[in-house]
Amino acid sequence: MNTVPLAHYLALASALFAIGLAAVLIRRNALLVFMGVELMLNAANLTFLAFSRNLNNMSGHAIAFFVIAVAAAEAAIGLAIFIAVFRTRNTINVDEVDALKY
Amino acid sequence: MDPTLGLSHALHWIVLLPLIGAAINGLLGKRLGRANVHLIALGVIFGAFVISALSLYEVSFGDSSRLHENWWHWFTIGGIPVEMAFAVDRLSATLICVVTGVGFLIHLFSTEYMSHDEGYWRYFAYLNLFVAMMSTLVLGANLVVMFVGWEGVGLASYLLIGFWYTDEAKAYAGRKAFVVNRVGDFGFLLGIFTLVGLFGTIDFAELQVAAARVLPGMVLQGGLWSGWTVTAVLTLACLLLFLGATGKSAQVPLYVWLPDAMAGPTPVSALIHAATMVTAGVYMIARLSFIYVYAPTAMTVVACVGAFTAIFAALMAYAQNDIKKVLAYSTVSQLGFMFIGVGVGAWWAAIFHLVTHAFFKACLFLGAGSVMHGMNDETDIRKFGGLRKEMWHTWATFGISTIAITGILPLSGFFSKDAILHAAHVNANPWFAWVPTALYVVGLIAALSTAFYMWRMFNLTFNGERRGMLHHHAHESGPAMTGPLWVLAGLAVGAAVWGFPRHGGAAFEKFLAPVFEPARANLAKTYAFAAEQLSVAAPALPESHGFGDMIGGYLVALIVAWAGFGIAWYLYLGPGRGAPARIAQAAPGLYSAFANKFYVDEFYDLVIVRPLKGTARVLWQVVDSFAIDKVLVNGTAMVTGWIAQIVRYFQDGNVQRYAVVMAVSAVAILWVFLG
Repeated sequence: MNTVPLAHYLALASALFAIGLAAVLIRRNALLVFMGVELMLNAANLTFLAFSRNLNNMSGHAIAFFVIAVAAAEAAIGLAIFIAVFRTRNTINVDEVDALKY
Repeated sequence: MDPTLGLSHALHWIVLLPLIGAAINGLLGKRLGRANVHLIALGVIFGAFVISALSLYEVSFGDSSRLHENWWHWFTIGGIPVEMAFAVDRLSATLICVVTGVGFLIHLFSTEYMSHDEGYWRYFAYLNLFVAMMSTLVLGANLVVMFVGWEGVGLASYLLIGFWYTDEAKAYAGRKAFVVNRVGDFGFLLGIFTLVGLFGTIDFAELQVAAARVLPGMVLQGGLWSGWTVTAVLTLACLLLFLGATGKSAQVPLYVWLPDAMAGPTPVSALIHAATMVTAGVYMIARLSFIYVYAPTAMTVVACVGAFTAIFAALMAYAQNDIKKVLAYSTVSQLGFMFIGVGVGAWWAAIFHLVTHAFFKACLFLGAGSVMHGMNDETDIRKFGGLRKEMWHTWATFGISTIAITGILPLSGFFSKDAILHAAHVNANPWFAWVPTALYVVGLIAALSTAFYMWRMFNLTFNGERRGMLHHHAHESGPAMTGPLWVLAGLAVGAAVWGFPRHGGAAFEKFLAPVFEPARANLAKTYAFAAEQLSVAAPALPESHGFGDMIGGYLVALIVAWAGFGIAWYLYLGPGRGAPARIAQAAPGLYSAFANKFYVDEFYDLVIVRPLKGTARVLWQVVDSFAIDKVLVNGTAMVTGWIAQIVRYFQDGNVQRYAVVMAVSAVAILWVFLG
């Protein structure tokens, strides 16, 4: 059976991670920043699974489930915060939400 | 029945009863009312006196010469068990009877003396506390328990000197007494450590056994004092302990607190600063006599300091016009005599003088209190005069005690003082051959001075005509005051029988002989060591002397005492009246040196107090206020503030900038660790 080599998975994961990081650092819309975070989490997931397969060890799968669960919880809380921020400030542009400073 | 009357289980009550009295009077006294406070204070002291008297009877006539009680185990340190233990032998039994007996009389006296004072309950609580602590000191079966009492009496003394604390000068006098005593106590503590380092025990009985085993010239192997000789270590220990004694017993150089201690109520001066507490140093040296004899240098120092104090304090008493100050300097001087006694190995004579002095000096102080009571608290003897007519009881008892203290036959002071002088005279000192003669001569001059200033005071107070307060009628005190006066005067007369020299020594000498037997045995070893070292014949041990040996000394002493009396009569009552004033005018420098107590207080102020205050000021303002507060504490905050002023702008609220820093940092870390 032809298997995809580990390096390919890692290359893809790195790419996803880089794209996600770029989104987090560059996008001004909080929702898009958030999506970047999700992308980075999934890049990590992909790395876990790739190693899991490669090493014949199931722990990677288990950790991936944990990561998904954490991502879900985080998404719920994060979206709730955005809604709260939008209600008070009428914007979710992260550049404008900078009251906590100095 | 228990042959010791169960006394060895009752010793702690001598301490506990006054302590309970102090607690009740101190905590509830204000509500109890005067009569109840008096009842409790006198009752507990009387109870303690009864137990003391029973133990004295037991060790004198009973089967056991020493009662010992392990009350409770206190703590163990470095393998040395410290027991709260009390012991009574003939020495401590004598002392404890004086403490509780004279203490009882003075409590009784105080009921009337303090009858106008609002703080009477506080006064009696302190007085009971003092008796408890003094009992601890005397009964303590080891050095640590003795030290507890030693500190405790210092506390009680401080509280009572500063009893009228609203008067700043009096509060200051109390503080001075406490601080000066602390200097001595430090030496005492170091002395204890030195002894523990050598013998590994604090118990007096064990120390005695351990001391009997060593030889003076022995070089120690191992332990704290490895390489030292026994004599060297014990000389150090004895000198340190003696430093403690100079503090507590008001000897040069630490005597300065005692005259100021007269700020306290007069019965306190009688009990603490004349009869009992100040004799603690003499008692301590007698207690450790078996160790002191190994340190002939320390013994010589003790005797010489005693002699110097005896004459120095007597001279200072010449020009004092405060009735209590004269008595205070007299006490310092008489304590000097006691130290001559313990310094030349005449322990019994020193203790005998301690006891007789307790009687007549307590009587004198109480007499002074009675005079003050009748004269509106006036203490200036220049304003008195002719009080004999108005205060007959006080005059009579004061006169008896003055005869006793000046050493006129046949009262107790004559025998006790001359036993000391005689012992000093015939004492063998192979190292310092000139010392015995010097001690004797200085002692005689001090005795002459004593006779002079005591009769001066007596004449100015009771004889002649009233010189001040002319319209004040002095009233004689009531029976609660004159009663103790007469009992003490009676004792001052009666104690003479114990000191009458007979074949084989005075009664008191024979009585205490067993206590000082170990000391004599060790002294023989020291003398043998001296003979070997100096290649001279070993001196004979001091022997007891009968009347025949002492008659010459007695005649000299009597001449001296009458001479002092004569001079005082001539200058203050006889044809020489007015001469003292002329002398003072002719030699103002000399007079002011006497009147200002030779400027010793000023000297200490200049040499010790001021530099200390200066150092304290520097430490306070430079080290504490500036270096620590300003530079270190506030400086840290200030520097932190400056840095924060700049660094805070990094927190600008932009989440994405934080994320960039985080990402770059993460990359950098990975680079460092993986790259």
